[in-house]
Amino acid sequence: MRFFSFHLMPYIGLDPAYEGPAWVTCPNSLFDPVHGGELYNRYLGELLYAEELGFDGVCVNEHHQNAYGLMPSPNLMASIVARLSSRMRVAVVGNALPLYDPPTRVAEEFAMIDCISGGRLIAGMVVGGGPEYYSFSVNPAYARERFQEAHDLILKAWTTPGPFEWIGKHFRIRYVNPWPRPIQQPHPEVWIPGAGSVETMEFVARHRYAYMGIPYFHLDVFKRTFQMFRDACQAEGYEADPLQAGWLVPIYVAETDAQARREYEEHLWYFVKRLLPGITIQPPGYTSARSLANILKGAGTFMLNVTDWDEIVDGRYAIVGSPATVTEQLVESLGALGTGNLLGLFQLGSLPGDLTRKNLELFAGEVKPALEREFPAGAPVHRPAAAVA
Amino acid sequence: MAALQEEFVAAPLGKIQVFHGGSGPPLVYLHSAGGEAQGLPLLEDLAEGFEVWAPIFPGFGESEGIEEIDGIDDAVFHLLDLWGLLQLEAPNVLGCSLGGWMALELAVRYPERVGRMVLVNPVGLYLPEAPIAEMFGRSPAELAEMLFVDQEHPVAAAMHAMEEFTGDVGKQVEIPIELVLPMWKALGATARLGWDPYLHDPKLRSRLRRVTAPTLVVAGAQDGLVPLAHAETLAAEIPDARLAVVDQAAHWLIFERPDELAALTREFLG
Repeated sequence: MRFFSFHLMPYIGLDPAYEGPAWVTCPNSLFDPVHGGELYNRYLGELLYAEELGFDGVCVNEHHQNAYGLMPSPNLMASIVARLSSRMRVAVVGNALPLYDPPTRVAEEFAMIDCISGGRLIAGMVVGGGPEYYSFSVNPAYARERFQEAHDLILKAWTTPGPFEWIGKHFRIRYVNPWPRPIQQPHPEVWIPGAGSVETMEFVARHRYAYMGIPYFHLDVFKRTFQMFRDACQAEGYEADPLQAGWLVPIYVAETDAQARREYEEHLWYFVKRLLPGITIQPPGYTSARSLANILKGAGTFMLNVTDWDEIVDGRYAIVGSPATVTEQLVESLGALGTGNLLGLFQLGSLPGDLTRKNLELFAGEVKPALEREFPAGAPVHRPAAAVA
Repeated sequence: MAALQEEFVAAPLGKIQVFHGGSGPPLVYLHSAGGEAQGLPLLEDLAEGFEVWAPIFPGFGESEGIEEIDGIDDAVFHLLDLWGLLQLEAPNVLGCSLGGWMALELAVRYPERVGRMVLVNPVGLYLPEAPIAEMFGRSPAELAEMLFVDQEHPVAAAMHAMEEFTGDVGKQVEIPIELVLPMWKALGATARLGWDPYLHDPKLRSRLRRVTAPTLVVAGAQDGLVPLAHAETLAAEIPDARLAVVDQAAHWLIFERPDELAALTREFLG
């Protein structure tokens, strides 16, 4: 089991009088730059603290024009972490490839981070969320095509000596010859986040990359998703390695179950009620009919629809409690999902810095060692019989 | 009223679904982003007096070939292909919204292939002072508010009923795919043509002078999607054009006011 601390870098303190979505049209006059700067520096400290606590790595991701996550450029954050850390992996999960034109920009920036970090980059590539297609006016009907072509171009840029010419449908570059090149050969480890699109799973399975489940659904949705991913790997003629899958979930550990809920609940609802609204806006043509069927199966369970604390707990939308409770629920859930990477969101919503650090400490000190004993490196993770109700 | 028959033609892009019926001079109906044609009372009405052809555009209904459509040029070439397959030299064209845009793009490039033209709340222009409202990312109920004056109209009411399955916080329902899929496909196909630039062609306005077809522009006075200025601009800048504004009608006056639209069309086409 590999442990990552994932940070969304949310905007805390969104004007209570504002009732609209946190995405696309959320007025940027509500963003206080001085407060924003404090948040960035606080969050960078929380990311770097993960190395001190023995995490395998940290994750940052890309979102634009929203209060949910303040990282239009995760590469900036990753490069800072790369410089100030020395051991842990730095996972950018990921760059939204269709938004980069030309996408050789991704090949260049990822190579820079890989060089600065001494080969510790995990290169995430993502189609981009629905809201981004509104914020960028990139045509969502071509999202998959552009993603595919950009991916092929980036991988070729990393693995084929330049210069070469790229004449595709969406990108035409006469001289592809990025300096620098990544340290990791033939290229950095690639992670692909997905929300249940069948094409994405097949793509990840075909390339033997790792599939990261996009969060905030009922555990049952993830069970189906990761089973579909394992099936996709089998269809490619191999058994999925547990490290080819990752589950992203909010985690909060406190001294007791009661204390955990008391400290955490209001911050979780800030996330659900203030930061999630608007994330589900659908761009037309973004999903194939085949994938739509699968995505609709899970849509009703999206966390935005959850209003009751017991549902949060029962559906494993967040793992909250004492070290013993969190360990027990994670052992069950990870066994049911079979994912060899645990991507914990240890800061969620408006959770303040002191509680975030205490959470990271308790997790690293008491939960992580237990999970490492339960899921030793190299051993299978999937335990279908242990599936939770 | 004459019912139209469903036919299929093998076009270069793939199988194309066409609704066809009636007798008289040929009249091609180009549908809106809703993909409407099947069972449309307006068309059954017009089939009395016209041979109506209503081809379904690739990506809508059962028509194939949307993968080959990357912009409005491809749409025009597809229409030329259809004209050839249906042996239409210069038919009258009735285009609604997206279909009106396609008719215009055909008429500026191949003016000799359009007889007389009726455009109903067409998109296609960008007017900085009167932008087209956002149609993407809207719930069915929000769209109904833009498309209809009368929210009790059966089509509007059906769109409101779909709201039950979309986006209500606190509600966990399984969304039936058969309910969502036609709209999903239609919006996806529309995005290929009209996501960016948004429902317009920056070059279209300067090309309007090329249209030779006598043109009637029909606008719903309460259109919540396309401001009246669009119809006014088209009527003013297409060489032989006039404007008819229908009161108590919004964007989908093809549904809401079929009798008035049929009468206007008959009167104009003669």
